[in-house]
Amino acid sequence: MHEASLMKDLMRKIEGVAREQNASRVLGISVRLGALSHMSASHFREHFAVASRGSVAEGARLRIEVLSDMNDPHALEILLENVEIAE
Amino acid sequence: MKSRTIKVDYLARVEGEGALLVKIKGNTLADVKLKIFEPPRFFEAFLRGRRYSEAPDITARICGICPIAYQMSAVHAMEDAFDVQVQGPLRELRRLLYCGEWIESHTLHVYMLHAPDFLGFQDAIQLAREHPAVVQRGLKLKKSGNEIVTLLGGREIHPVNVRVGGFYRVPTRKELEPLLEQMKWARDAALETVRWSAQLPFPEFEQDYTFVSLRHPDEYPFNEGRLVSNRGLDISVHDYDDYFTEEQVAHSNALHSVLKPGTPYFVGPLARYSLNFDRLSPVAQEAARSAGLGSECRNPFKSIIVRSVEILQACDEAIRIIEGYQRPDRPDVPIQPGAARGYACTEAPRGTLYHRYRIDESGTIREAKIVPPTSQNQKTIEQDLRHFVAGHLDDSQDELRWRCEQAIRNYDPCISCATHFLKLDIERE
Ligand SMILES: [Zn+2]
Repeated sequence: MHEASLMKDLMRKIEGVAREQNASRVLGISVRLGALSHMSASHFREHFAVASRGSVAEGARLRIEVLSDMNDPHALEILLENVEIAE
Repeated sequence: MKSRTIKVDYLARVEGEGALLVKIKGNTLADVKLKIFEPPRFFEAFLRGRRYSEAPDITARICGICPIAYQMSAVHAMEDAFDVQVQGPLRELRRLLYCGEWIESHTLHVYMLHAPDFLGFQDAIQLAREHPAVVQRGLKLKKSGNEIVTLLGGREIHPVNVRVGGFYRVPTRKELEPLLEQMKWARDAALETVRWSAQLPFPEFEQDYTFVSLRHPDEYPFNEGRLVSNRGLDISVHDYDDYFTEEQVAHSNALHSVLKPGTPYFVGPLARYSLNFDRLSPVAQEAARSAGLGSECRNPFKSIIVRSVEILQACDEAIRIIEGYQRPDRPDVPIQPGAARGYACTEAPRGTLYHRYRIDESGTIREAKIVPPTSQNQKTIEQDLRHFVAGHLDDSQDELRWRCEQAIRNYDPCISCATHFLKLDIERE
């Protein structure tokens, strides 16, 4: 439930970026998962696959960096670093 | 195709789906209402018209913290419908998978969500700064549960190895063996977790609950058993709908589950523990006793100790299963679908999870009913909050907010994550 809500927010941002850039498709995204973010890379992949189905980002390549620093001020968070779009 | 990379550096947020309303009139508490976002209704609709065999994968998506519980309730309900018994090593592997989920979910709750409250920290980051070794232990323990789930779940990207009747593939003895060392470490870490959680400061807050959980003739309950309570209930899960009902509540889009004719009840670690203390392994019983727990626990703040005891129980059980494992000849029991109804309850980490299905002759799901622990506990949680808040009416707004958040984190991890984003309205008249 937690993830569904998180993914919805992420998708809204990704779709927003695609729209602003007049992109036809999102080819890839890069995310950083905080050490205390409750999400592993595989967990993220699975949820992203579901959340992006039927959207501009369906099938997008995922670059996922899992951080190990528990003291990072964003250790509990998931950061969307960048979005790669097709022109 | 030409591509371009746009830098965004955006922090993903969890929407505040939950809300708590506290009404104070003068110096008495007038009302407490909890509103929780609840997706199973959506999934029930989504399951209609799908094949029975799709249920485990679909229901696993309901919750990222307890996907196995949803899968297990689904497969058990389907097997109930088609009159199939899954026994021997396949049954053991399912228990092992459930151990993995309990370890993962309980550890997340204990270390990341619950413990910071008792020590006066804002969140797990602060806890990690002051007590790095503790958080390291928590992360490693959680990972050991995760490894069980990954191994039995199959491939990393799409961990859907569970099917009605068993698995798509079962591991060899050799594949399971590396887990053994890790689980032995985990059992020690779980024992330390019990000791460590027992010395946290707890408010005096014993409540008179109606506890409900599964009870099995000789196991601590995961997937099977009768539904029992501390008030004399003792029924087959087939009769769930005769004894429990869901009420539509105006202030929340969620349904409240009650024992007919309208009694709130409580599922989850405290209920399981209090109704099944005698089914815990000797090592878990002894750890609970030395942590100062009796054979019953009615203080929701102490659920952190009970969860730790259940982590220990799960580690101990996992070791027993891995050591005795013999790979079965085939990974599943054949299924002959037909028109039928199926029922199942399993014990998700956060409480009893009920599934009911009606299937037609072609094996298509015609009706699905899922009652998650959250909706069963909601009424009791409101009641607890009412009692708890009543003792703190003179606190400042901020302090009261913090106390409510802390109290809510006694319950399940889904609510707990949400409570960091909980909208709290305190109305004073
Ligand atoms: Zn959950």
